[in-house]
Amino acid sequence: MTTLTALARAHAVESGCAQPITTVRHVHVADRPFACVPLALAGEANAPLAALVGDERERPRLLVVHQPRDRDQRFGFAHRMGQLFQGYIARFPSVVQERVHESTRPVDGPQLWVPNPRSTAFLKLFGRSTRYRSVDGPYPVEETVPRLGRWLTQFVHEAEYPGQSMLLEATTVLTQHWATGQSAVEDAHLPALMAWLLTPDGMNGRAAALAAEDPVTHPPAGPATDPTFDREVLAPAMAAYDAASNPVARRTAKERLESALRGQLAPTWDLVWQAIGLMRQLPPGERVVKRWVRDVRSNQTFYLRLNDGSPPQPKRDGAVAAARRLSRLERTQANYEAQRAFDDPLVMAEHRLAGNAFVGTVVEVEVDRFTGKARRPLIKVRTDDPVSLVSGTVLDPRRERQKAEILEVEQDEDALIISLELAGGMGNKTKEPPPPRSLPTEGEEVCYSALSDEFKRDGDFPSLDETPWTHGGPPVPVRVTNEDVQEDWS
Amino acid sequence: MDGIRGPAEPTKHNARTIAALTSNPGCARRRVLDAAGVDKKALAEHLGAPAPFGDSPFALARGNVFESIVKANGAAELIRLLREMLDLSLPEVAYHALDNVAGRESLDTRHRRSVQLLREAARSAEDSGTLFAHPLLRLDVGGRAVYLEPDLIAFQIAGRFHIVEIKSFPVIDRRAEPEKVAAAAIQSAVYVMAMRDFVASLGHDPEIVSHDVVLVCPRDFSNTPTAALIDVRKQLTTLRRQLDRLENLDSILGVLPPGLTLELRPDSTGARTRPVGELDEALKHLEPRYAPECLSVCEMSLRCREESQGRTEALGRSVQEQLGGIEFASEVLSLAAGTRPPSIHEEEAARMLRAAHRLRSQCLGETA
Amino acid sequence: MTEALENLERQIDELRAQVRRAATSGDPVRARELRADLRRMEQVWENALAALTAPVVDMGAPAQAGSILPAREQVHQALVLLAVPSAPKLVVSVHTAVFGGDLSSVKLTSLKRDEERSFRSSPHARPYYLCNALTYDRLVPARGLVAVSTWPLARRVVGPLSARVDFLRVGIALAHQVERMSTPTAPVLRLLWQYAANIPDAAPAFDAMQPAVVATAATAELSVHEDADLAHREEAAERARTQLDETHLLFGSSLKVVRRIATDS
Repeated sequence: MTTLTALARAHAVESGCAQPITTVRHVHVADRPFACVPLALAGEANAPLAALVGDERERPRLLVVHQPRDRDQRFGFAHRMGQLFQGYIARFPSVVQERVHESTRPVDGPQLWVPNPRSTAFLKLFGRSTRYRSVDGPYPVEETVPRLGRWLTQFVHEAEYPGQSMLLEATTVLTQHWATGQSAVEDAHLPALMAWLLTPDGMNGRAAALAAEDPVTHPPAGPATDPTFDREVLAPAMAAYDAASNPVARRTAKERLESALRGQLAPTWDLVWQAIGLMRQLPPGERVVKRWVRDVRSNQTFYLRLNDGSPPQPKRDGAVAAARRLSRLERTQANYEAQRAFDDPLVMAEHRLAGNAFVGTVVEVEVDRFTGKARRPLIKVRTDDPVSLVSGTVLDPRRERQKAEILEVEQDEDALIISLELAGGMGNKTKEPPPPRSLPTEGEEVCYSALSDEFKRDGDFPSLDETPWTHGGPPVPVRVTNEDVQEDWS
Repeated sequence: MDGIRGPAEPTKHNARTIAALTSNPGCARRRVLDAAGVDKKALAEHLGAPAPFGDSPFALARGNVFESIVKANGAAELIRLLREMLDLSLPEVAYHALDNVAGRESLDTRHRRSVQLLREAARSAEDSGTLFAHPLLRLDVGGRAVYLEPDLIAFQIAGRFHIVEIKSFPVIDRRAEPEKVAAAAIQSAVYVMAMRDFVASLGHDPEIVSHDVVLVCPRDFSNTPTAALIDVRKQLTTLRRQLDRLENLDSILGVLPPGLTLELRPDSTGARTRPVGELDEALKHLEPRYAPECLSVCEMSLRCREESQGRTEALGRSVQEQLGGIEFASEVLSLAAGTRPPSIHEEEAARMLRAAHRLRSQCLGETA
Repeated sequence: MTEALENLERQIDELRAQVRRAATSGDPVRARELRADLRRMEQVWENALAALTAPVVDMGAPAQAGSILPAREQVHQALVLLAVPSAPKLVVSVHTAVFGGDLSSVKLTSLKRDEERSFRSSPHARPYYLCNALTYDRLVPARGLVAVSTWPLARRVVGPLSARVDFLRVGIALAHQVERMSTPTAPVLRLLWQYAANIPDAAPAFDAMQPAVVATAATAELSVHEDADLAHREEAAERARTQLDETHLLFGSSLKVVRRIATDS
């Protein structure tokens, strides 16, 4: 939580309207996203109850497990979901055909939308519970089941890296772009959050959000169902299904169960697509596409692995994989933070407020200044920002290859004058003047920060086979063992 | 205290409600309601702001099924786990079921029976039992005795009692949801405390009740139990502090108007007849300390949220902090826009807010 | 007609919403009334739907595989194999796994009530009765256990060690059963594994389980507890014989004894 976002929340409280906290969109919205709204049976480890899935808003596919404790039905659900999801992925040549992509051209690729982080957690466990299932042995499942498990695992794992757009959670994405007049706890409830963003005419956001907290008219976005729904609707409907003794009764009971579950899912389905629509209306940040291409590539790589007989993802990372992962997470986080700020003045404003960045006017430029043979121009920038930087290297995203070294910070009445020594990004010729616009000019507005979107190489890690014994030795490849198949299901 | 509650029976506490006492210690309203044994659920319902949470029958059923699996056959699964994890010796298998016999026993009777058996176990090291299922313990909460029923108590593991807590949330690939483990830890700590008070009353060292609790959960997606030891020393300290504070409410009670009551005056059919307006008035004397986290633990939370409308605390602690602790959103905006001069205490916050306001306006134009 | 059905559906939805509101606002009386209305309305809807639906020929339940014995005999059959007081759930799973029966635990509960009634009206008319196990301390029915009247009384009385002792005995009985079967079925093996997994040195893994080893391991642990357990049981059985009449010996006594114990503590 930053002061700017907190202030936006205060504005939202007073105005009754959600407030933007970015000027651009920081995620990619695919042309044909795939939405998945899962529901789980309360109390069970990971028992799917129902889901609405699909890539067409008008044609959601309803998947229902009529008796969630029944193992066959559960895998039947996974099978149908696997068919739909893998059918969806197969439609993207960017993933299923080997092709190298230009790094900045937008490509069409698969994107998964869920309502909230809990749904992601559910899919993560569902991936874990399906990816080791065997197509033969005592409890054989369809080939689609372990494949779905591996795809879900791929999406959920990649979603842990900041700035990705492969798997998007509606509540997370929306709250990264708007502030409401309620707390983060209440924002986690998709109906209440959307009530602030798409407030019905004649209401204010707060009143609309309060109305959206009624679980009877606004079912929770899952995967947990409302307890009174469980007690008053679901439990009797399931009991009727279990007790049905003839085909007519069974069909009736089945229909009733399905219509009850559809009634819980459909409002959330609509909200997810409304969220997608809202995000589409925002102009994308300049660097968003670069990250999206990386997402598509990751899926392409994964698709190849899936088909070359590689084992499923392990239950836990080995030592080397964990260290690599952590290092990648840190680098991705730093790059994403920089990219967001470079793309969006409002995000940069947060860094300015924190004193790590400043915007100001160039008041003096000394172009012909040399250190040895190297041209080292000096500029002075006057800024009103509360800068706390006193030394170090900064850069302006409009001249990303030009480093600026802070030499001096002077107070000038209410403002600061910052002297910067520039290096790089101005051609190599010392005799000739630098190319036009390669250097800031007097009167120009500049923005310098300590952020950097520089590509950083992966640290040096031993290969998996060379994992030292102190760290457990080389990981044993995952096999589908009888133990996993034996897991007796609750 | 009893006057605040009125003639109704004090509400029943259990490990969960006692554990909940630790979640918002600064809230005077809640401390008074809990100490007086007011039925917060009924009160909130009558005020038209019922608690925004509840239990699914499926979750309850699942919990019962798993517990019965762990306890089946003299807790055969648990004995395996205790042998593996705590080196429980082979002869230690005696199992005493202290559950209610067909609903016929009073709480007092059951408590006496539990005391008898546990006293025996604490006194003689040998042949006096290993596992005690559903013993009924007693704990003093705000000056009143509360009955508590731990799932199991295990004895004779290195001569100490261990509380065994059975929970039906899964441990998948050796990981469980941290919030659920935390909740289980504090509930178990309630039992440890009750058991320590009990052995102390027998003249034994309370430390013979271990601060390591055995948490039993289903492994992965199966019904097979797995166990872990959880150190609840920290939770014990927190709990003890809260329980002491419950008894020490003089500073709050002293300033309450005499005759203040929150009774709901149920008529003969059970319908609550107390005018809501009167309750509203009465509640004003009990200051809440609302935070959004209350929404998942306190029955009164919706009511308190209503009262904190317009306050920055309603937006969450971190937002409030970022706004320099200014109490109302409207004050935040007037300080930020510079339309109201800050007081001495607000100067630092106002400077930050004005800077934020300037930057926001710059980036968004006049819309901010 | 479909319009009427849709109308009904709307009313049902409305009622359902009202039920949930009543339930959350702590008005159980209203919730109960509404629930009753709801069930009535659903019945009307079902009838209307059935009238609309083309009649489907009910093929009847598929012929059940398994036992043709009456439920009572099936329970007896399983208990004879188990040879110790057992939980209904275990009786059902043993019968299903070993004899391919179709018992349900619900049926079992009602069976036990019938047995007691039958014994009270004409004692000893049957060669055996399905009866209760008794607790050693208070001689009241032990929770959730079924036994057979022809067993020695000491077997039907359970003390603090009996749960473990009987668990080991069942493990041994199942191991012998598996040994007797030329091709043990998966359900029987899974059942045995539930025991083997909880007995020290009985089996390293499901796939490596050997019934003879399971039996040996169970017998080894059994020898640790057996004598102490038997002493408890026999002492209690002796007490029961002097204190209880024959109906209570089979089905347990009730409150009276509880009170006596309660007041002398």
